[in-house]
Amino acid sequence: MARAEDAPSIEGDAEERRLIDRSASGDQEAFRQLVIRYHRLVINVAVRALGELSLAEDVAQDVFIKVYKALPGYRHDKPFKHWLHRVAANAVTDALRRRRPVVSLDGMLQPPPSAGSDPQDVATRHDLQRAVRHAIASLPPHYRDTIALQAFGELSYDEIAKALDIPLGTVMSRLNGAKRLLRERLGDLVRSEEANTA
Amino acid sequence: MLSHATTRDWLIPYADGMLASDERRRIDGHLAGCAACAAELRQVRELNLLLVTLPAAPPVAFAPFWLKLQAVLPLRRSLRIPTLRSYRRLGLALAMATVAALAAAGSALAAPAALPDNPLYPIKQLEESVRIAFTPAHDRLTYQLQLANERLREAQAMADDHKPLLAKSSLRAFRVIVDDAAAALKNPADPKVAKDALRTLRVQLAAVERDNANRGEDDRDVKQLVADASRELDRIEQPETVGVPSTIVVGEQATPDPTPRSTPRPTPRPAPSDREHSD
Repeated sequence: MARAEDAPSIEGDAEERRLIDRSASGDQEAFRQLVIRYHRLVINVAVRALGELSLAEDVAQDVFIKVYKALPGYRHDKPFKHWLHRVAANAVTDALRRRRPVVSLDGMLQPPPSAGSDPQDVATRHDLQRAVRHAIASLPPHYRDTIALQAFGELSYDEIAKALDIPLGTVMSRLNGAKRLLRERLGDLVRSEEANTA
Repeated sequence: MLSHATTRDWLIPYADGMLASDERRRIDGHLAGCAACAAELRQVRELNLLLVTLPAAPPVAFAPFWLKLQAVLPLRRSLRIPTLRSYRRLGLALAMATVAALAAAGSALAAPAALPDNPLYPIKQLEESVRIAFTPAHDRLTYQLQLANERLREAQAMADDHKPLLAKSSLRAFRVIVDDAAAALKNPADPKVAKDALRTLRVQLAAVERDNANRGEDDRDVKQLVADASRELDRIEQPETVGVPSTIVVGEQATPDPTPRSTPRPTPRPAPSDREHSD
């Protein structure tokens, strides 16, 4: 998970601020530098949320387009990375909600098969992950936005608090509520997975 | 001793490691004697496991990602096209149609040969962006080498024409292309072809340096960029000396390295702001 040591240095802040300001004024080279810094992060969030690389790349492109358009209004009162996480989390949950649940495994990312891995187990794991993604997408917005940052963005409680600009206690409360609902909605899936891994 | 209800309320932050040590001890105390809460904790942990094991992104090359993004950025910014995928594809299709139309009139416009100080140069940039985005993987290295050679030809011409800013932009663009092609050059399908290509690039680099110096200006920045580019080629030819990955990939870590580079990453090609008057 991303941790506090990921925080940019003072020099990094200054350089990033310069890139943001120049991008906001339409300097595409400066924006390219920002995309170089953060495209891995955004694509990773999108892949974890959507499970399909081509779709994730499209959503990641949408995220950067939104960012490019919104940069003129960006204020440096919170770290760019936290703001970007929030934009990315919103975009991927929107994409998840728009998307019809599919049964086919075509195009879906799978972990590399280990020696002797049972295709049936892989398919079951995949179904479970898809169910989790759609369960997250179906949560009330304040729960969904919070847990998306943890599950897809791999942010800590503290980073989520900064990204959403809410107290740490509120993050705990929302994650508590979100996970309770997820367990209710995933019900037997979680219980059967527990039995499989026991 | 904590109550059953209170313990259940705290199981999720407990499983996430968010409780202080004394709170954890109190929960531990309850869990030791409550099978129902222990079972619920197992479910909480199973859900957490599901969340953290969502697959991460595999390595993805930066250049094609940026080129696709760049192809639609100006359109979206100026024309305010909605962010629907179909519209973006339409934008790309329009760009390709434009390139095709321009290619049809290629001999008259001569955009492919345009230098950075030529008004047709942006058309050349557009054509290259579209072409590389649609070049199949097995042909990409060939096209990248062609573009790298073209950037050096431009740099040489600009240095020769007393235009160090444009020469520098072309050299920076050269380094980006070489950087993106580095992995393929280190493990080429045909080592002899790669070796010949690198030799050609070195000859051209030397020509840029010679023309820069011959103008009597010996622009320091151009000279530095030539030296940097030469070192980049050294790193490709001697992989054991490589200290930093030369390709940009995703998926190796959840968040990017926030530490800034000490030097700005080079531009893919001369930016409009770098343009100098041709006279």
